[in-house]
This record gives sequence, structure tokens and C-alpha cells, in this order.
Amino acid sequence: MNKKQSQVWIGEKDLNGDQDFIKEQQSEFVELPIVEGLGNEELVENLGGNRRDFLRFLGFGIGAATVAASCDTPIKRAIPYVVKPDEIVPGVANYYASTYVNGGDFCPVLVKTREGRPIKIEGNASSMMTKGGTSARAQASVLSLYDTNRLQGPKKKDGDAWIDVKWNDLDKELMSKFGAETRIRVLTNTVLSPSAKAAMNTFVAKYPEAKIYTYDPVSSAAILDACEQNFGHRVIPDYRFDKAEVIVSFNADFLGTWISPVEYAQQYVKNRKIDNVDHAKMSRHIQVENHMSLTGSNADNRILVKPSEQGAAIAYLANKIVGGVSVKKLNDQAKKALDKVASELKNAAGKSLVVSGSNNTGEQILINAINNALGNIGTTVGFNAVSYQRQGDENDFNDLVKEMKQGAVDVVIFNQCNPAYDTPSKALFEEGLAKVGTKVSMCYSVDETATLCDYLAPVHHYLESWGDVEAKRGHYGLIQPVISPLFDTRQAALSMLSWSGAAPQTEQPYLSFVKQQWKDSAFASQSTYATFNGFWDAALHDGVFHMDKGDLGVSFNGNVADAAANITPSFNGELEINFFETVNMGNGQFANNPWLQEMPDPVGRTSWGNYLAVPVAFDGVRKFVGMNDLKDGDLVELTIGGTTITVPVLQQFGQMPGTVSLALGYGRESVSPTSKGIGVNVNPFVHPNLRKFQYLNFEVSIGKKVGKVDDFACVQYHHTIGVEGQDKETGETINADEAALVFFNYGMVKQGYQGSLTERSIMFNSSLDELKESVEHLHEKRHEYQHLNEQTLYPYEEYKENRYDQGHHWGMHVDLNACIGCGACTVSCMAENNIPVVGKEEVSRHHEMTWLRIDRYYYGDHENPNVVYQPMMCQHCDNAPCENVCPVNATNHSAEGLNQMAYNRCVGTRYCANNCPYKVRRFNWLDYTTADLFPANQPTLNGEEIPFGADNLTRMVLNPDVTVRSRGVIEKCSFCVQRIQEGKLTAKKEGRRLRDHDVKTACQTACPTGAITFGDTNNPKGELAKKLKSPLNFVSLEEVNVKSSVTYTMKVNNRNESLDA
Amino acid sequence: MIYNHLKLKAFLTCLLFTFSVAIIAQPSVDVGKAAFKNYCAQCHAKDMKSDATGPALMGAEERWADYPREDLYAWIRNSQKMIAAGHPRAVELWAEYKPTIMTAMDNLTDDEIESVLLYVNDVVVNGTGGGGGGELPTESVGVQGSNTWMYWLLLAVLAVLALILTRVIGSLNKIAAAKEGTTYEGKTLLETLTSKGVVSFVIFALVVLGGYTTVNNAVGLGRQQGYAPEQPIKFSHETHAGINQIDCQYCHDGARRSKHAVIPAANTCMNCHKAIKEGSEYGTAEITKIYASIGYDPTANSYIENYEDKSEEELQAIYSKWIGDRYMKAEGIDELDKEGKRVVAEQWDGIVSSLTNDQKKKIQGPIEWVRIHNLPDHVYFNHAQHVTVGKLECQQCHGKVEEMKVLEQFSPLSMGWCVNCHRQTEVQFGDNEYYQSYVKYHDEIQKGERDKVTVEDIGGLECQKCHY
Repeated sequence: MNKKQSQVWIGEKDLNGDQDFIKEQQSEFVELPIVEGLGNEELVENLGGNRRDFLRFLGFGIGAATVAASCDTPIKRAIPYVVKPDEIVPGVANYYASTYVNGGDFCPVLVKTREGRPIKIEGNASSMMTKGGTSARAQASVLSLYDTNRLQGPKKKDGDAWIDVKWNDLDKELMSKFGAETRIRVLTNTVLSPSAKAAMNTFVAKYPEAKIYTYDPVSSAAILDACEQNFGHRVIPDYRFDKAEVIVSFNADFLGTWISPVEYAQQYVKNRKIDNVDHAKMSRHIQVENHMSLTGSNADNRILVKPSEQGAAIAYLANKIVGGVSVKKLNDQAKKALDKVASELKNAAGKSLVVSGSNNTGEQILINAINNALGNIGTTVGFNAVSYQRQGDENDFNDLVKEMKQGAVDVVIFNQCNPAYDTPSKALFEEGLAKVGTKVSMCYSVDETATLCDYLAPVHHYLESWGDVEAKRGHYGLIQPVISPLFDTRQAALSMLSWSGAAPQTEQPYLSFVKQQWKDSAFASQSTYATFNGFWDAALHDGVFHMDKGDLGVSFNGNVADAAANITPSFNGELEINFFETVNMGNGQFANNPWLQEMPDPVGRTSWGNYLAVPVAFDGVRKFVGMNDLKDGDLVELTIGGTTITVPVLQQFGQMPGTVSLALGYGRESVSPTSKGIGVNVNPFVHPNLRKFQYLNFEVSIGKKVGKVDDFACVQYHHTIGVEGQDKETGETINADEAALVFFNYGMVKQGYQGSLTERSIMFNSSLDELKESVEHLHEKRHEYQHLNEQTLYPYEEYKENRYDQGHHWGMHVDLNACIGCGACTVSCMAENNIPVVGKEEVSRHHEMTWLRIDRYYYGDHENPNVVYQPMMCQHCDNAPCENVCPVNATNHSAEGLNQMAYNRCVGTRYCANNCPYKVRRFNWLDYTTADLFPANQPTLNGEEIPFGADNLTRMVLNPDVTVRSRGVIEKCSFCVQRIQEGKLTAKKEGRRLRDHDVKTACQTACPTGAITFGDTNNPKGELAKKLKSPLNFVSLEEVNVKSSVTYTMKVNNRNESLDA
Repeated sequence: MIYNHLKLKAFLTCLLFTFSVAIIAQPSVDVGKAAFKNYCAQCHAKDMKSDATGPALMGAEERWADYPREDLYAWIRNSQKMIAAGHPRAVELWAEYKPTIMTAMDNLTDDEIESVLLYVNDVVVNGTGGGGGGELPTESVGVQGSNTWMYWLLLAVLAVLALILTRVIGSLNKIAAAKEGTTYEGKTLLETLTSKGVVSFVIFALVVLGGYTTVNNAVGLGRQQGYAPEQPIKFSHETHAGINQIDCQYCHDGARRSKHAVIPAANTCMNCHKAIKEGSEYGTAEITKIYASIGYDPTANSYIENYEDKSEEELQAIYSKWIGDRYMKAEGIDELDKEGKRVVAEQWDGIVSSLTNDQKKKIQGPIEWVRIHNLPDHVYFNHAQHVTVGKLECQQCHGKVEEMKVLEQFSPLSMGWCVNCHRQTEVQFGDNEYYQSYVKYHDEIQKGERDKVTVEDIGGLECQKCHY
């Protein structure tokens, strides 16, 4: 069964040696009909190409060029300020501390602005929670500011149409409807802001019949319930992954989406990095799940249980550790594994952590009981800085629906939430909503809920807002505006204050309100600052403020047996489905952001849509086949609870047999073209069991293949390196990716290293137990490579000494043990380097433009593999194969070791991309940046009227220091050369040597785990020099002698093999 | 060909003049013309007969005939000094022309002044544009022309050779034909000229020449050296940076710390123009534009409240009053006469047309200058790198801005121009600790193996220093 146990693979096609796939990899570029999708059938027919056409196009070309050349140079204007603000110097970026908040999603950030325009989000290193890390969502949030589909002013429904109103009129009209007797219901997602809460309380005080209801798009209400019952506080405990030596997670995606992923990831990797090979220590992470989640892919061991067995698994473990718990149906393999997990946990009592993503209160009580029995309360499960990042309870939502149906609600106000989309019972909700007299939505754009309302009170983007955040107890953050509101919008909390008649009568009313709140609370309870202004300025400057509020002093109090009786009931059917949140989409809140749509899901590597993950199994003969013989991109009919939808399929390794999975957050119906009709909406199938939303369903069946999706936007098999295949003529094993390069039969040199095409050293991995042997092996291999590389007539060392050993020589180090694959770097890179978004169809044609991709490799057990994430960007080879083949010298090498790309020199031969062993060069096949004169070359993302980026609003996000590339040129990672130049200039201006912190690449600053280190290899005291000393280091494809400037560390896992038995 | 011919002629003329100038080395009409162009033409009419900002120069010598020649020199060099000293003629002139001040030019030599006076008389006698020996070549052709005649000679020799060879071949063919007993039909000239070979050669030559010309001209496309557009405000760098010696970086304060030198905001102008309310050349006409942009009421000496919301009529009232008042004060009258009304209307129209355009309908708001130095979008240029780190003088790239009445683009801003400078310019290597990381160069300098490090040596010619 375990055909090639030690092998590394990227997917089923690779593992099976799929002939079509290998053929695809053997050609220079994936051969797709070039005119496909241009939409011009006539053109397609004529493109057979004849002399007349040629002459026609030639004539047109010359004519157009002549006309263009004879035009007068347009007069350009230089428009200065009238009164220049002191802090702005045109051309120099300003950074402001703020906080990214979206419901419970939170990240302290620094906002980079240029000439008053926010263009980039960086992490705020002053935060004790995130330590400067960011998430893909926080990185992409700046693009939402310039969303063309934002509401531009308050609106009122007139019949079926929206008419514009003035804020004053809207307020008057609404307040005439609000009275002491009015039964007003405010529905909101988690509110992290103490001031916004105070504003809501003001509202409730003014209208005593008003009530605030809170729910979350992806609920963690069960944890709140359980903690309330067990510890007396309705909060989420302060989980400390950095203090845990054994981590057991029951389907909690804590590195990707669960509660506070950036904080948890930062803690988690502290025990995953290996500093000392001789005394290597690592935490052990066991993930119990059915679908390969981002967190599961980072786990050492995965125990596969079906969604219906999650509760049983928790109960089983609770029985082993706490005792007295009856156990329901659970597969034997999981039982055996959990036995061993229990003993591991007991050995690490007080230094272990058990978490669960379940939304079943009984299960969460069992988790609390387990942690309590292990003595983790107060160590890894803290109750001092408890988290407020999930406060929602779907009981609130259910109550609202019930009241509405009874006609007991006069006014409903939606505070930046979208229940018509992200809750299961849309029909019931709409039925109830129809009975409400006045419906107000405080929304960002017209979403599914807003369309059902009468009044729209549009809200600011967080970058235009004042505000505060208390994400954890005592961990405060401030939100400050970095740009004047672009449109006639108003902060939600200020709307609430205005409607209460309590808005401060100042120029910036909400700022005054927040300041007053802080004066009364945070300032009053601190002693560092004597005056409020001093305190406020310091807090605003830092963006964060921390205060130790003392431990809540809890003790466990709960009935385990009762809890066990309430867990998810067992199920005997053949197929189950679970629904999961993805890193980029959440439950649809982020669907209107093209950067997040285009960012591939880390595990499935899919973009622009959700894909049904089906298990892959070995057929016992020689092939790995998907369930029901389904292949990637097949369309299949999925029936859940009597409703049938058609979804595309993705074969997913690590998916438990008998289960399928589908992501939440897609299939939006809102007006924004970016998300409309992308993927399918699975919220209607979320199970409202026990009044809590359960993200699973058992009434599910899938049929046979009913078709194939035309634009399968999965980048899994794009830009691969190291795929092996059979040579057509000789039948020998060759490297498919590079077969295109080899026209000659080299005779003897087929196997081996240099000049060969197989056994490429792309990635090294080891288990912790075999670390010493693996490191020895690695060194042997590297020695061998280096020896081979020395067999050259070219005096490289001498050349290097002359050219690279003085000044700077840039290099990068990527710690694969720290990389969790979250994709923050990918989005950060897109934002920094003006990388175009190409849309679903273009992605399906292998045309995605990302400079930094995260390669995901499976290794180990085919049914339950481990995963390595390898961020792959231009390696800036000092002996770069791309440079040698450029006929126009558009790509060449700098004395600082940069592989330079001069776009204006590039004529688009693409030889360089063909010759790149790492496949990191991207070609602008179409006019993705809409710079061209001819609209036919501009693809739209999702059939919008104007292509993405063609309007001036979206263009405001562009980084003015980076050229926007036009059609027909190659581009690739530049090591953020604009940052290098800026850092060097800072040092020069100050007349000092360059320091490490002068230059940090965009991917480096975005990383929540510090996996990426960039620096000057010529600086022996730098951070990079320290990292380069690690014995775990390797260079990808070292044997091909390209002298790469990027070093990786060997991926080490702490897999307990005995759990697999 | 004709071009080359002209060049040759120009060269010869140039030579001739160089000689004559060198031999005489005394005041001359030509020196005078150049000096007039440089120093006087801004204010004094070129025909010498009509008044401009300054009076007509015709007859200046006669008017000063009562005084020593030195007085005239002194007057031309620094009129204010003489007025202050109370020279009778000077005081008389001042009464006539005040408050217009003649720019001081203390560095003018007596010879130059004499030359100008010669030139003035020459113009009066011979008409405009006249000069002793015709038009002066504006550019020196230099030694470039010196070997052109050799090429012509060579060409002529080759042509003669070709002719001889053709005759020889013809004769040989005839002889050969005669030997074989046939007759050789020589080609007529027309036949030769229309033969395949000649036609192909001509076409080939045309393509080559055409291509060469096209490429040569295309390289210059979009370049704007010498570009000196009219600006919304007739701002004179000569007045500000030249006469008044304001440091470049007082206004262009971005140059030392940013990629942009920065066009100053209107509030920077107000630092001085709160006090200086009338210009030396245009009076209220130009400076009032700044007030109208930022919302300053020069009559009340205060900024106008809620300026953004004021209508055009309100603005017109405020600024017309100011212009009118000033006019009346200058004229010494209490009520606006017809001319005064015209002046007010004219200046107001100037304000409106300068501060509004198709996109900007309101007078309030920024002054939209015409951008002169335009680099393509794919070029990254940073002023701070050159000014603060490289310690370059602004004039190196921008020319003598302090002498420019209307700013023009001095340098071609072509890549070749950048690259040449990067090849030659020495890096401030020893002074800046940043460069300590270039260990090898420092060693070489110490050992005496290297005397300088140029920008090129530290990678200043690499693509991604400017293109990313």
C-alpha cells in the first residue's frame, strides 16, 4: 500500500504519474489556446494566420505607432499643497499605529501612508499578542478601503430603488420612529471595542425597550457557554501554545482561523523552531480531524475521525484522563491512538493543551475537564488575559428570529453583520424580517442583508475610523484614521450615539467620545502617566496599551457525565460532510477582496471558489483515486438534506474516507462583482443542532461526475519543480519540469546530479527522532553537491571575492519549521509590489502573477501525510540561468547579488521563465494592470463593467515606488529592491553603516512566525548571519550550481509513529 | 549633404569670428549683442526705441552726456546706489520710473557696457537684428567640421576612380568582344542608372539612411530639453534665487529628504509674501494669485475665514479692491480712472485664468503649475540621494536657475546623461561611514592603488538602481 513511503509529492497527479500532467510539465509553458476566452469567435477563426492578416496587423501597428509618436507630449501638472501639513513630506512614507478589526478578527497594525494615502499594512511589534505578525486578511484589508462597491452615502429604499438621503434627514426620520416603547433590536457580530459597546449602552439607555443581540459568522458560542458553566466567566480562556509541550487540537484551526490565529501562531512556533540540533526539543502537536486543515497540515500526527465522531473522540480522551465518561461510537484506530495521546498528555501534565473547535457545549465542557484534570488551568489555559474575540451566541440570533416572527420587533438594526448570508436559516430569517417595520443596515457595501432593509447607514473603513479595541482582557488597542473618509459614511458607533441624541458636539464627535471613555477607564486605572494627554499621545503612538488586570482566579466546576450525554450523537451513515472556514474568506466577510480571492488556499491550493474536498485512496493496484473516481475539477452533484448543488471537486490527501468537506464563505449574492457567484454558499446546510450552529451535516450524498469545470483555478500543479516522469523514447525517469530544456540525449549522465534530470533536492525533511542522522545525511549530500559544483573551469570563488565580498550581498533565510503556510506573505507581497489580480479564468490558465508562492508538499503516509510549506520566490542566484538566456539583457545581476529585472528592456521572449529551475518568473500574458490602449487585452475578474484596477479608486492602493508592469513583460520577486534602496538611503543620509532593521522585505514583515529573515550576507553581525549558521540549512536545488541566495532549513516533525499503528 | 555643407560654412564663419574677436579684444557690437541679450533684454525693448519695463535705450548716451562716462557705467551697474547717493540725473530718472528697480549687475565690465552701447547704436542705425558681420552662430560647431572636407575629397576621389574603372571595364569588354568577333553593346548611362544593381543599392541606402534618421529622432521623442512652458504665475527664479539669494532648499524642502524636490505649497510663499505684496516686475498682477489661492486678504492683512465657501463674486470684490487700491496709491489718485479699471479687470482675469482650468473650476485651492521635469514612470529618481548623500549642487542638473526668468529644463534627462554622470562622479567615500562596508576599495585607496571611487564602481549603472 505504501508505494513510496519516503517520497514527497504535491498531489494525486504527481503521485500517480499522470501522463497528461507530466506532458504538461514538459512543455515550456502550458499550452492553452491563446485566443481562448478573448470572446471574439471571428478572430479565433481568422487566427489561422495568413499573409493578409499579417499585413493588416503590421499596417495597423505601424499606423498606431506613428499616430502615438506624433502626438504632442501632454502637459503634466504639478499640484502642490495649499497648506502643507507639517508631518507630510511628499515622497516619504508615514506610518501610523492602528488596529485592524473585522468582527472578532483582530490585528494590531502599522499603516504605511504615502501623501496621505494608506497603501500597505505592517504588523505592530509593540503588541504583546501578535509581536508584529499579521494575517492575510489584515494585509488585504487596505484594498477593501478602495473597494469600488462601497456605499458612498446613506440611502433609503423607495419602492425597489435606493435613493440618496442626507445624514441629517436619515437621523430625523429614524429617530421619529424610535421611542421609549419601540422594541428595537440591534444585531451585531462580536464587538471588541469598549467605546462602541458604551455607545450601544447609551442607545439602550435612551430606548429602554432596545436590546443588543450578538452572534458570530463562525460561532464559538459553545466555548463561552462551557467556560461560563465551568469557570463562571463567559470568556474564551487565554490559551498559551508557547507553554505547551503537547498540543491536542480537536478540529480547532488555531493557526489559520480559530479565535486568534496570529497570536497562536506566534506562540506555537516558539516550540517548533530548532536552535540546537544536539539538544533538539519540539512540542508535539496532534490534530484530530477529518479534513486537512491548515493547522492539521502543520501537525505532527493527525488522528482521523469523522465529524460525527469528534464528540466521541473528545469523550474517549476525557474518559482516559478524567474518567467517568461514557464513550460513543469511535473508530478503532482513533481509539488506539487516543490511548497513547492520553498517556502523552498525562506525562506532560501542566505543560499540555487540549483545544477543540467544536461548537457543542458538552464537548467544550469535556475539553475544560480534560485541561483541568491535566493541571493546565492557570498554565496553558490562562484566566488573566482572557480573550474577547468571540462573544457571539446564536441563541441571540435564534431569539431575534423568533421575536421577529411573532411580530414583537418594531425596528431592527444590523451592525456590520450579514445574517441573510452567514446563518443557516435564511428563509426563516427573511420571513421574520418581513414583519419588522423598520430595518436599518449599518453596512460597508450592499450585502445580502442590506438588500432586505429600508435604510442604509454606511460605515467607515477601519482606516477612516477612530476607535479602540480590547481583544484580550487588559490588552487595549487604538484605531486611528489615516485618511479622511473617502465617502459620505459614518462610523456605526457614532450612528448609535447620534440616534441616542448623545453624540458629542465637536468637530470629531467620535474621537471625543473615545477619548472620554479612555479618560474614565484606562487612564484612571494606570499610574505611568500623570496627564491624560500624555497618556493618550503615548497610547496613540504605540497603538497598543497593556495593563495587567490580575488573574480571574477560577476553579473548575462541572459535571462531566452530563456533558458527555450532550455531545454530537453518533451516526452510522456512509458519508458525512463538514464545513470549514478558510484562511482567506472567513465566512464570506472577506469575499469582496480580490487579493484574498486570488490567494490560494494553503492546503488545497485553490483560489476563486470553494471545492469539495474528497478523500484519495490507493486502489490496491497502482493508482491513487479519488472517491467515486472523481478527479480534480470534476463537477459533481452534492445533495445535502434534500437540496442538490453542483460543486467542483478537489482530491484532498489526508481527507478521511467517508467524509467530504466544503469551505464556508463563498457563493455570495451581494452586488459586488468580485464575489458574486464565486463558489457555492454552504451556510444553508450548517446544522442548527441544539440551538448551536454545527458546521457539519450527515444527510449527504454525492453522485457521479456530471461534468468538468472550465476554469479550475487550482494552482497545485502550476509552476511545479521536481515532478518526475518517463521519457517518451528511452522510458527512463526524468524530471518532467526540465525535460523541455533538454533536446539532446546526454547518454551517460541520466542519473546523478549535474546535467541530470532526476533526484532533485528541492526540500529536506526529517523526524525529530532521526534528526542527527538526517543532518548527517544532509551534510553529506550538500558536500557532494558542492564538490560537484567545484568541478568547473570557471573560477567562481575568485569572481565572488572580487565582486560580492564587499558592500552588500543580499540573502534570505526561510525557516521551514516556522512557516505554517498561512499566506500572509503572499498577500503582503501583492500589496507591496503592485502585483496584478488576474481572476479565476486566468488562474486556471496558469497565469497567476504572484511573485511569492507557497509550495505545499506532502510526505510520509499516503493516507495521512505530513506537510511541508516552502515559500518559493526568486532565489536571486549568483549564477542565474535566466540571465544567460535573455537576448536583450533585460535580466542581469547586480553587484549586491540581486537578480535584476528591467521591465522596459524586456521584449517578452520568456526564455528566462523557461530556464528558471525554480519556476518563479511570471509573464504578463494580458494587460492585467489595464495600462494598455486596447481594452481587448484587459481581462475582467468576474465579468465586471470595468476591469479590476482600471478605476482611479482602486489605483490608490498602488505603491508609487514600484513600476506597474505592462503586458508582454516578465516579472518576479525583486527582494523588495525598493525597500533595499530606501534602507540604504536612510543609512547614507545618517552617515552610518546599514543595520538589519533598515531593510526588511514585505514577506518578512508580514510573517506572524518570523520564518523569513532577510539581510546582508556580508554583515557578520547581522541576524541573517546567525541563521545561516544552522546545521539544518540547505539550498534548494544546490546541485544545479546556480548559487542561490535563499537558504531553507530542513523541515523537522515530531511525529509519533506509534500513533499510526 | 546640404546640412553638412551648412555646417562647414558655419564653421568657417565661426573661425573667422573667433579670429576677429581675438584680435580686437575691444568693445564690439557682437559682444554687446550677447551682453544685451543676457542682461538687458528682459526689461529693455529690443528695438531700442520703445519703452518696456525699463525705458528705451536709444539715446541713453546723449541723455548722460552732461556727466562723466563713469557715472553712466555706475548707473548701469547699480542704479539704486546712485539714487541713494543723490546723483541728480539718477534722482530725476527715479522720479520718473519708481517703484520699478533696475536689477543691480555689479560684475559688468566697462568694456561690456561700452559694447552694449555700441550695439544699441548699431540697432538704431542698422535696424533690428543687425550686427557688424551678420548673424552670430548661436552654437559653436567646434572641431566637428574640421575633417568633413576630407570626406568630400575622398568621395570625389572614389567617384573619379569609379568612373575610370567603368571606362576601363567598358574598354576591356570591347576588346574582349572584338577578340571573340562579336560587338560589345555598352550600357547607356540611363541603362546603368536603372539597372537592378543601382536601384537596389539606392533603395538599400535609402532604407539605411531613413532608419538611421528615424531611430536618431525617435530616441529624442518625449525628451524636453529646453522646455520652458508658461506658468500660471510668472514666477521668476531670477528674482527669488538670483537677486534675493533665497536658498533653493528653502522652498524645495523635499530635495534633502525625499525623492521629490517638492513644489512649495502656497503657505511657503506666504512666509515672505505676507510682507512683500507687490512684485518688482508685475506689481500686484502675479502675487495676488497666491493670495487668491490660499485665501489671504492683503488689504486686511489676514486670512479669510471660510474661504472655501466664498463665491467667485466675493473673491472678485476682495482682490479687485486690493489691486485698485494699489493702483490708486501708485498713481496718486483717489478714484479709479479708466486705465485703472482696465488694469483691475485685466489682473482679475489673469487670476481667474491662472487658477482655474477644465478640472478645477474654483479659484480657491492649489496653484496648478506646469511640470517641467518629467521622468518616465519606470524611472526611480531620488533627490535626497543626490543632494544630501551625493552633495551635488542643484545647478549641476538644473542649470543656472538663479538666472532663469522663466524656468526651463536644462538637462536632457536622458538615460545616457544619467549614466555619463554616474560614470564620472566620485562618491563621497571617505566622509560617509555607510561606505565602510566597501572594504576592498578602502584597502585599495590606502595602498594607493585607487584614487577614487565613482558611482559606477559601487553599482551605480545597474538596472535596478533606477528601474524597479
